Amino acid sequence: MHILIVEDDVSGAEVMARGLSDAGHACIIRNDGVAGLEAAREGEFDVMIIDRMMPCLDGVGLVETLRRDGDETPVLFLSALGEIEDRVTGLRAGADDYLVKPYAFAELIARVEALSRRRETGSVLTQLRVGDLEMDLIARRVHRAGREIDLQPREFQLLEFLMRHAGQAVTRTMLLEKVWEYHFDPQTNVIDVHISRLRSKIDKGFAHPMLETIRGAGYRLDA
Amino acid sequence: MPDERDAPAEGLLRLFRAAPFRLTLLSLALFAFAGAAFMAYVYIAATGEARRRTDAEILREADNLVEVYDRAGASALNTVLVSRMAGERRFLYLLLAPDNRKISGSLARSPVEGFGGEPTWIRFSLSGFDEDGRPRSIPARGYQQRLPNGEILFVGADTGDDQSFIVTLARGLWGAGALVVVLGITAGLLVSRNFTRAMTGLTNVVAAARNGDLTARAAVRGAGDELDQLAEGLNDMLDRLDRSMSAHRHAGDSIAHDLRSPLTRLKARLESALLDMEAGRGDSRQALRQALDDTDGVLRTFSAVLAISRLQAAGEAPNAVIFDPAGLVGDMTELYGPLCEDKGLEIACDIAAGLTVRGNPAFLAQALANLVDNAVKYTPAGGAVMVRLRRRASGDTEISVTDTGPGVPHPDRYRVVDRFVRLENSRNLPGAGLGLSLVAAVAQAHGGRLELGEGPGAYDGSGPGLRAALILPEVA
Repeated sequence: MHILIVEDDVSGAEVMARGLSDAGHACIIRNDGVAGLEAAREGEFDVMIIDRMMPCLDGVGLVETLRRDGDETPVLFLSALGEIEDRVTGLRAGADDYLVKPYAFAELIARVEALSRRRETGSVLTQLRVGDLEMDLIARRVHRAGREIDLQPREFQLLEFLMRHAGQAVTRTMLLEKVWEYHFDPQTNVIDVHISRLRSKIDKGFAHPMLETIRGAGYRLDA
Repeated sequence: MPDERDAPAEGLLRLFRAAPFRLTLLSLALFAFAGAAFMAYVYIAATGEARRRTDAEILREADNLVEVYDRAGASALNTVLVSRMAGERRFLYLLLAPDNRKISGSLARSPVEGFGGEPTWIRFSLSGFDEDGRPRSIPARGYQQRLPNGEILFVGADTGDDQSFIVTLARGLWGAGALVVVLGITAGLLVSRNFTRAMTGLTNVVAAARNGDLTARAAVRGAGDELDQLAEGLNDMLDRLDRSMSAHRHAGDSIAHDLRSPLTRLKARLESALLDMEAGRGDSRQALRQALDDTDGVLRTFSAVLAISRLQAAGEAPNAVIFDPAGLVGDMTELYGPLCEDKGLEIACDIAAGLTVRGNPAFLAQALANLVDNAVKYTPAGGAVMVRLRRRASGDTEISVTDTGPGVPHPDRYRVVDRFVRLENSRNLPGAGLGLSLVAAVAQAHGGRLELGEGPGAYDGSGPGLRAALILPEVA
């Protein structure tokens, strides 16, 4: 994946780039808003990571300009500013996701990957399939290897999100945001318990467990 | 900077520049203008009145003489004139023959020149002497008319007395005006000096605060006026600022204290992992994993502190909307359902319908999550957690979480809301101790409060439980 990092904290940007490169992504770094805008216009990127506060042109201005130009590349906003009010302005400016510093690195990677995935699955699906796990979004039924699995409504939503991001790490905060639609940092084990319920339903009795826990990051559903 | 020599002049200049002094001058100017207009009016009225009175007297005397003439003839008039001149000297008389020859009178000749026969008024001067014998000119006024036999009668009067009255009056008016101006300027200077002194006190306090000294306070003079109110306001503001600054300093200390142990632990783990790796001994992955966990804890603490600070600094809930909290309360109960079940706790909710609150749903959700989290964390297995949304009789909305855990002893209830305070017996449980402080900060930012009370009482060997309620004000 090609990632553009626009961040005025030079060493922070380098650490970020190294981490993303280790995860198999190619990164380009720019250290201010104007240079970032030039790079964004010249190159093709899958995701852009843009810092909120920068010299010359700040993150909000940069994203607004890009969106006005018709550039729909997914943008992850990074901010050292507080939570909710900034999230609202950031998302309103056209960013697709928002991460507050200090963040866990796993969270950053998970969100960047989720953003790129979001673009790929633009079409409306009626059915999801991951390995032998099938989900019918219309009838709201789930089968694994032909066996029907009975899920509570919230478990269904949780599994739907995991299946849409199959093969990719999702964090607890992301789950709380996307499935419950609340934006706060959940106490660690609240989400874990929901996941373990879901896991007992989809993996119990099967030789191959699909829903794995990734230490320090979150969870991943894999075929 | 003015040097010492210039200091008094500088001070006086400042006094003159002071706002009250300028105001005094302005009102003085207005007053002087009105006073001058008034004095001019008095002067004109008084001189007019004096002349009218003299004219009336002259006319009456002339009429009397004409009456004598009408009744008794020219020689009788002459006799009367002579006797008048011998008596009081109020009036001046002159009787002229038709050819302007003087018949009798106290004047040598008539001041009226080219008399055509019409009754004529005239203003003229007499030469006389003052008390010291110096010659002077005395203003006078006269009336001349022709008698039916062709003779000419002139009656006049000396108006020097009137004139001196008017001069005295004018002098008095000027004196009064000057006194008003002097008194006004003096009062202005006094008020100005007083005001400047009070203002200097206030300015010094502000300057000190700007330079970082928040301990200086403005003197309240006890007059209860605007300046005192300003001084009190300023002092109150400084008190708050000082408190909040020291709270921040304290918070900084607490953060440093709370972060030191996980960071120290983290450092130790990384060091030993590095040593192990260098020595080629064992697997350092476990140590690194634990180090990562420690980092998560540190980050979590940071986020909570950041959120609390932002809320306290903003003083109000950001992006507040008016909404029905029922969904939020239901969602949080549902979110914690499985966790409670795993811990062997019963969780239930009682949600009143149709309520509205004004606030930021995300912050309120986090606050409620923290309350439920606390309840789940501290309640032993077999207990229960009750989440309730209801409207109080006062109109406030109450979102409460009641548990059957050990509760918080009364003296500690206020303390646990402070940042980082964790009661001694909870040291072994995870968490940075910021949960309730965040709830309190959220409540405050919403114009509400956090209430801590006793739960349902002792229950099955545990209890008495804790009842934590987030009170939100009625939506106006």
